[in-house]
Amino acid sequence: MVVNGNNKLAEDLERQELEAPNGVPSPQVYQQLLAIYLYQNDLCNAKYLWKRIPPTVKASTPELVNIWAVGQSMWTRDFPAIYKALNAVTWSDTVAEIMKQVQEVVRARAVDLISQAYSSISLEAVSAMTGLSPEVCIPACAERGWNFDADTKMIRPIRQVIEHLGQTSSEDQLSKLTDFVSFLEN
Amino acid sequence: MASALEQFVNTVRTSSSHGNFRELCEYINKSSEILIKHSQHLDNVLETLDIQQHSLGILAVLCAKFSVQPAANSTDNRFTQAQDFILNCNGEQIRFAPDTFAELCHSLTNYLVEQKQPLKGIVLLQKAISKLRLYDSQLTSIHADLCKLCLLAKCFKPALELLNIDITGICQELTQNPNGPQFDSKYFLLYYYYGGMIYLAVRNLDRALYFFEVAITTPSLAVSHIMLEAFKKYILVSLLLHGKIQAIPKYASQVVTRFIKPLSQPYYELANAFTSNNTAELNAVLNKHSEIFNRDHNMGLVKQVSSVLYKKNIQRLTKTFLTLSLSDVASRVGLSSPVEAENHILQMIEKQQIFATINQKDGMVVFRDEPDKYSGPEVLKGLEEQLSLCMELDRQILAMDEEIQVNPQYVKKSSGLQDEEQPKSTYAM
Repeated sequence: MVVNGNNKLAEDLERQELEAPNGVPSPQVYQQLLAIYLYQNDLCNAKYLWKRIPPTVKASTPELVNIWAVGQSMWTRDFPAIYKALNAVTWSDTVAEIMKQVQEVVRARAVDLISQAYSSISLEAVSAMTGLSPEVCIPACAERGWNFDADTKMIRPIRQVIEHLGQTSSEDQLSKLTDFVSFLEN
Repeated sequence: MASALEQFVNTVRTSSSHGNFRELCEYINKSSEILIKHSQHLDNVLETLDIQQHSLGILAVLCAKFSVQPAANSTDNRFTQAQDFILNCNGEQIRFAPDTFAELCHSLTNYLVEQKQPLKGIVLLQKAISKLRLYDSQLTSIHADLCKLCLLAKCFKPALELLNIDITGICQELTQNPNGPQFDSKYFLLYYYYGGMIYLAVRNLDRALYFFEVAITTPSLAVSHIMLEAFKKYILVSLLLHGKIQAIPKYASQVVTRFIKPLSQPYYELANAFTSNNTAELNAVLNKHSEIFNRDHNMGLVKQVSSVLYKKNIQRLTKTFLTLSLSDVASRVGLSSPVEAENHILQMIEKQQIFATINQKDGMVVFRDEPDKYSGPEVLKGLEEQLSLCMELDRQILAMDEEIQVNPQYVKKSSGLQDEEQPKSTYAM
């Protein structure tokens, strides 16, 4: 639901930007749109949005600079810097909710990546990639069934098999197959 | 008001009320000089015309207004007038004069570019396109204008909506052409060139390559600058995407191989260095031609090419080794440290470009086989999509074939040929 809500908000904001007189909407539009692009991990559009925001707006709304600082770190995949930028400032009500979600999806992606890419990884690295302190990391990893070796300070993640959902009904498939066969026969 | 203008207004009014739009178009094409001559009175003319009923008349006046600089002491109301017109004009009428309507949009685009406010025109041109085209996949010359504004405004989503629809027809705008209706090839090339650039900006390399390919395979007899630039970008994108220069389709004009290739020599050198997999060599070429790359505004792409080489080399390692230490990866690929190598590998795993597991404890990478991707519902879904695309293509080709079969000119020619052949064959018997 949240995902849909944000996507819809994004479309709405994009339209507001295009229809704004003189092509410059209120700073709030820019703030929310930029934050949502980060949430969607749509860094290309975030970058170009940042580029097209007029300098005067950037100067009058320092929060935009803070949001983009997060985006820049995401662009360079510097996980510690992302969390640092996310938590260095208190976000205003306009974007606070979205920025919280940004942090959540970034962390979820980091955890996924760790489970895909590492057979063993140091506690420090996990802590840096998830932005959680080592004390929090150990129980969190245990919860996922990842083994922690206290002597070497190494964590052994378990690879997750990514399940793809989305079964179509057999009737639907049958009708598609009929289409294909009738096409190929003729 | 000068009498010439009065006559213009009267003709527009009577022709419009009688529905003689075709004659009106001819009249309007002849009267543009008069309008330009009396440019200071044009606002008065506009007041006497109704936007719905006399769309063609207003169109001509607005075109004239855009072709002269407004007097220094008057306010420039051209944008609001054009905006009002595009939003409210009568679509059926303007389709009688697609060339003039497109010209207005071109002028509006140039105006906004000069004013440095490209964002303002995007919604407007979207509307204009939807008024002019007859179906969604028809190309108009306004498409190129919209792409240009989107590029300048750095706002790509509106353009992508258009670009994602494959073009199947062209709006033949130049109706006054002596050789039958035509479409200016400049706007065709521009559409595909700008479109390719937009796809590049949003990192959709597949589509970008396709767009540049269309641009360079357009039939032509002379070198077009747009084609030349598209060709350079085609080389770079195909290096990024396939690691080598994609073969240029056979149906490309001779111009491409004969003139455009020699003009893009630095890019060929870059490609050769790239295919040799040697980072040092690539950097040497990059430094040698950096001036040219900068001048062509392709430096960003060239730099991407050089960073992709690291990835390509790591990918090659997976074919030879099962396990390798990170420091070995770094030294074989030419990266400065194992940490950097780990970062590259991590990125590639995330994008599923390689399948590997890093073991930080021993500092090793284990390369795995590609997991079996050819089972499961998503493969089926992909197949279904491909098949329906093919079926759609087949339908298009059949429709085009049918159209040609019933074309009077074709029938005349082919039956004429048969008549000639007939006696010959009987003779032979």
